[in-house]
Amino acid sequence: MKSLIENRFGLLVLVLVALLALYGVAFATQPKAVAMPVPKAQKVPVASVTAVCPDPGDTDVGVVTPPGGQGPGATTLDAKGKTLATLDTPGNLWHEKIPAKSPPLVVTATGSMAAGLEAAQTREETAGAQRGLAGVRCAEPVASTWLIGPGPSAADVTLHLTNADLAPAIVEIMVYSGEGPVVGDSGGAFTIKPGESRTIDVRDLASSPLVMAVEVRTSSGRVTAAARAVMNNGRGVDWLPVSAPPATRVVVPGIPGGGGKRELLVASISEADTLVEVKALTPDGTYALKGRELVEVPAGSVATLDLSSGIGGQPSALVLTSDTPIVAGVSVTGTGARSEVAFTAGATPIDLGSVVADNRTGGKKSSRLLLTAPEAAGKVNVQVVPRKGEAPPPVEVNIAASRTREIKLPKMGDAFSVVVLPLPGSGPVYGGRVMDEPVKGGLVLTAQPLAPARLWALVPPITESVATVLP
Amino acid sequence: MSITDPPRTHHTVTAIVVSHDGARWLGETLEALLKQTRPVDRVVGVDNGSRDGSATLLTGSLGPNAVLTLPRSTGFGQAVAEVLDRLGPGGGQEWIWLLHDDCAPDARALQTLLWAADQDPKAGVLGPKLRDWMDRRLLLELGVTVDRTGRRDTGLEAREFDQGQYDDGIKDVLSVSSAGMLIRRDVWDEVGGLDPALPLFRDDLDLCWRVRAAGHRVQNVPSAVAWHAEAATRRRRRITASGDHPRRLDRRNAIFVVMANLPFRPLLWALVRNLFGSIFRTVLFLVAKQPANAMDEFAAFGSVFGHPTRIIRARRARAKGRKQSYAAISRLLTPPGAGYRRLADRAQSYLAGAGFVESAGRHHLVAPTQQEEDGEELLADAGVLQRTFSNPGVLLFLALALVTLIAERALLGGARMGGGALVPVVGGASDLWNLYTEGYHQTGLGSDGWAPPYVAVLAALSTVLLGKTWLAVSLLLLGCVPLAGFSAYAATRSLISGRWTRVWLASSYALLPVATGTISAGRLGTAVVFVLLPVYAALATTVLAGERRRARRAAWGLGLLLAVGTAFAPLVYPLTAILGALAALAFPRRGVVVSVVIAFGVPPALLFPWLAQMVRNPGQLLLEAGLHQPGLVDPRLPAESLLLLSPGGPGMPPLWVTGGLIAACLGALLMRRNRMIIAVGWGVALFGVLVAILVSRTPVTSLNGDAQAPAWPGVPLAFAATGMLMVAALTAHRIAEFYAAGGTRRIAALAVVLVAFSTPLLAAGMWITKGVEGPISGTVREVVPALAAVNSAGGERTLILRAKQGALTFTVLRGRTPVVGEADIPVPDGPREQVRIAVAGLVSGRGGDDARVLVTHGVQYVVMTAPVDPEISHALDSQPALARMSLSRTVGVWRLVQPATLPPAPPDDPWHSRWLLAQALMVLVVSVLAAPGSRTETDEQAPQDRSEPVRELATR
Repeated sequence: MKSLIENRFGLLVLVLVALLALYGVAFATQPKAVAMPVPKAQKVPVASVTAVCPDPGDTDVGVVTPPGGQGPGATTLDAKGKTLATLDTPGNLWHEKIPAKSPPLVVTATGSMAAGLEAAQTREETAGAQRGLAGVRCAEPVASTWLIGPGPSAADVTLHLTNADLAPAIVEIMVYSGEGPVVGDSGGAFTIKPGESRTIDVRDLASSPLVMAVEVRTSSGRVTAAARAVMNNGRGVDWLPVSAPPATRVVVPGIPGGGGKRELLVASISEADTLVEVKALTPDGTYALKGRELVEVPAGSVATLDLSSGIGGQPSALVLTSDTPIVAGVSVTGTGARSEVAFTAGATPIDLGSVVADNRTGGKKSSRLLLTAPEAAGKVNVQVVPRKGEAPPPVEVNIAASRTREIKLPKMGDAFSVVVLPLPGSGPVYGGRVMDEPVKGGLVLTAQPLAPARLWALVPPITESVATVLP
Repeated sequence: MSITDPPRTHHTVTAIVVSHDGARWLGETLEALLKQTRPVDRVVGVDNGSRDGSATLLTGSLGPNAVLTLPRSTGFGQAVAEVLDRLGPGGGQEWIWLLHDDCAPDARALQTLLWAADQDPKAGVLGPKLRDWMDRRLLLELGVTVDRTGRRDTGLEAREFDQGQYDDGIKDVLSVSSAGMLIRRDVWDEVGGLDPALPLFRDDLDLCWRVRAAGHRVQNVPSAVAWHAEAATRRRRRITASGDHPRRLDRRNAIFVVMANLPFRPLLWALVRNLFGSIFRTVLFLVAKQPANAMDEFAAFGSVFGHPTRIIRARRARAKGRKQSYAAISRLLTPPGAGYRRLADRAQSYLAGAGFVESAGRHHLVAPTQQEEDGEELLADAGVLQRTFSNPGVLLFLALALVTLIAERALLGGARMGGGALVPVVGGASDLWNLYTEGYHQTGLGSDGWAPPYVAVLAALSTVLLGKTWLAVSLLLLGCVPLAGFSAYAATRSLISGRWTRVWLASSYALLPVATGTISAGRLGTAVVFVLLPVYAALATTVLAGERRRARRAAWGLGLLLAVGTAFAPLVYPLTAILGALAALAFPRRGVVVSVVIAFGVPPALLFPWLAQMVRNPGQLLLEAGLHQPGLVDPRLPAESLLLLSPGGPGMPPLWVTGGLIAACLGALLMRRNRMIIAVGWGVALFGVLVAILVSRTPVTSLNGDAQAPAWPGVPLAFAATGMLMVAALTAHRIAEFYAAGGTRRIAALAVVLVAFSTPLLAAGMWITKGVEGPISGTVREVVPALAAVNSAGGERTLILRAKQGALTFTVLRGRTPVVGEADIPVPDGPREQVRIAVAGLVSGRGGDDARVLVTHGVQYVVMTAPVDPEISHALDSQPALARMSLSRTVGVWRLVQPATLPPAPPDDPWHSRWLLAQALMVLVVSVLAAPGSRTETDEQAPQDRSEPVRELATR
């Protein structure tokens, strides 16, 4: 050893050999490149849901929790301190007419009754100023609600706001019209106390718009917001469905086929004018609207586009893309001597499934699901939950890519609910439900985009880490 | 002679030589006395019971009749008094010339003194200029004064040579030494002579003070010279006049004289100052491991105040004229600011490497000659500033600091530094102390684990830096490059000759990829260890090769610093322990094993409870202070990167930057000399690389299980680099020889220098151009919104959510960002998992009682930090148990509607505080044992070692 060290080149060789050996070890032990496993979200059943039916008086209300829930749970229907009903069995549709002049109905479900709870109110009048079929999904309290539809110049639009929480809500309402954002003179925000509800005539906020988009937002607390439009001169009545929040790509599903006017409303909230590309998805495929594929939307305002000839009476969905976030909806007019309206709006995909609480197909009434798969082909299960009796077996439905498919719901004597569940391997599916009835004077109809069911919640992968304090 | 001259009085001079075991000097003294150009009129020799033949010498020179023999315990003053009692008055103006046996006057001394006496008829006492007996040019005294604490002050620099700089005329002084003192006999009689209560030391001061109080003058005559050996003070001879140690005696007499002679009002002030001064000095002596000195200091103080009657008696005797003359005397006392100046001087001399405790309280001390750096002695006379700024170490430090400042331009001046492994730095020293000392940490979800001890180190540093933690962290982390450069330069002082070699070594070390990576990733632990490593190397060398006492001291120091390093990056301990064990086996010297055991026993003892907590999870040993994040390490670190000392992760220069360094180190292998050291150095380097490979291939789960990634091999690579640099630096002197050889060798030498210096220069250049990049940032947003922070006064917790790369992370805070170290406290698994499930449920928006679970864990606020995921904010919005307080694109804040119930803290473990106390004591003891001691022993040996030739050189 000593002689090796004393040798001039011995030590050098020794060190070089050692270095080489170390290099070898390091090289051999170098781990292979492994792709980091992408953490996946986990599905868990929803454990608590609150929904508010805005104006249930003299109206049919359907409340349902799809079957499958395990364990205890209860749904209470509460109208201003008065409990109308308590439900405890999933898979049963509760469907009743609520007495007139009832305050907003707060549906609260916990435990097994919460997973997928859905409530809707539907009212049909065959005569009078409010002739028409008007239905709305009972919404849950949120911080921001977008509604798009006719303005006070075309209809009496009433906003129904309810605070079902324990904390007060400070609410602010923004109105965008065809001419730009409306600066209200009422002076901004107001507070809604817990349990309080309020109706607001939009005319008080902005009297002139022919079309409008409304954002009801809270700076603290949450409210449920719904708007009912009664068209001038008895040209129909319906609720404006809640629209998906502003995005650069909006899918408006559930535009029924048949005659009548179809008008697209696009609101841009950005501060620059924007061009919106419109594409229709029909049962026959993608339909480029001839000469109308581009809509120019001025900054902060609402633009309209008549689609009646564009989609040629086919059940369809629209895919709108733009550079800046937009909100979109479609107003549908029924055929007949006396016209009737229905509204649909931008929606989110029903990846977690969707439930429609209140459908009817008895008599001349017909209810249809319009399912659209704008990207990959979709595959869903459609399950009917009747009010009474045995549920028919679920139906598997395939939707070709970039197509819309219309599914007629089976004839049932009574009200029923329908549960749409995407099957594994399905692309994103958007949907709408249309219900109509030819009555004297013309067709009455209502439409609603399918909202994601409150069936499952996605639990994102989450870890506790002090590194959270670092950007 | 003109008629205006005062009439010449007739002087008679009686010389009294007192001897006591002073034969060594007495001969010369007597010879000098008898050779006076103005012969003395009478000479009396007194021998205080000498046992070395002094009496014989006296009788031989002066004749038997002129010699008086007194008992051994007689003091100087007493001896003189005895003589004067027996001696009748001489004629004319009689003067008494007091001479010690170790005080040889110059031949013209008496003549000059008498000439001076003629100049001023009020002069009562005259003293010559005293120079050192051994080194005859050295000034000892030109009159002495004291300050109000009795501290002696000669007004001279240490080792000041007499170049005639004080020879301009006669000076009024407070006192002159009794060695060579010429005093008028009537004055002597008037004031009563030397106080017998002061047998030795300060008797002259007391006498002169009284002479001054009586209205006479005390003057020093610089043109009269005497050489004084100060034999008693320097313990060249035993003192028998008192049984006490001369130091204690001197101190006691000093206090006594001041107490006795000051008027009442200044006395009170002096009392207070003395009390605090004595305590301060006692502590200082204790810290400097001079318990004897501490004892003396304390005993001196005690013995003066233990006998108040003595002081009262002495004061009564001196009452006359004391107050009236004080105005004049106070001008001659040391001005009050001098004490602080002396303290500053002392600190400076300590930093310069001289001993710690000065001895100006005694008679003037001859400072030991330092082994000067080559070339540095030329600068010895220059000012402090020049001395500092022409030191290459300081220049290197400044250059590296400049490089660092430029490279870190993006980080400086930020509001809150953080990122990478570093949690944003908030809070002050008190927060850190609290964190370290509290038994139960209410932070986060609560934990009763031990806070890592590096918190205490940071807390101490922050306290020194006026409580500013950010300053402490910035200093350690951002300043780690210049600090490491300086420590490498300073630590190699005794190992490597050649300042340029050391500059190369230090700059190469400081700019290693480890350093830049450390800063980029905010690795505080590695930064500290990186600065300490060269110090470890130096101390370890001392432990293995140093003189025994120094080795032991170095072992304690190494133990203490290893404890600090281990607290910051635990891997240091096993690394050094293995090397230490090998070294102890390879260098079997007496005491080395014990020293090594001390060095490696101290860290576990100091860090015990925390270390025990660590060892339960051995993977933690590979981690360091701060967060372990996958983004901070290269999971597939290439083999060549490891061999080129590049640990991977953010902030790495290109691999080839270190090529020059490795090449130079390989070149060192070809040198014929120092083969063993080269082999050892390369051994350390290879060992470091091996450990680095193992470390970088070992996946480690972080403390709270939130991340799994290989450990970062910074510390072992720094080890490897230290070994390589030592090898190269130790053989660097061969380069100079090669250069001198000329020809191709000169070209080769230049090439090697170029290659070697390429590493630091390239590294610095790269670093400057790229700047510090990577996760560390100077400004990290406060993560707890003010809305939540101000409402968390009651200890409510805040849940922070952040979306990161598709995954969500959360943490629970208590109203503020965690302080440094909080993240390194283990949190029990139970509550953590409960909260995790609840948070997952909450953000999924499924409803349920997740909110209630959070409330029971004290969570009151939920904060979603940027980027706010709309889905999550929607989910949180849809929770009835949450009320939104604010939501924007950058932050969302929700409040849990139910008030939070804070889980009660468990009772404190009584052993916790006891152990903290023990830890503090251990740190104190180890610090004292490791502190550089005084050089008293060498001082006292020095004059003896000095050989006669020195005297031959001296001017006579």
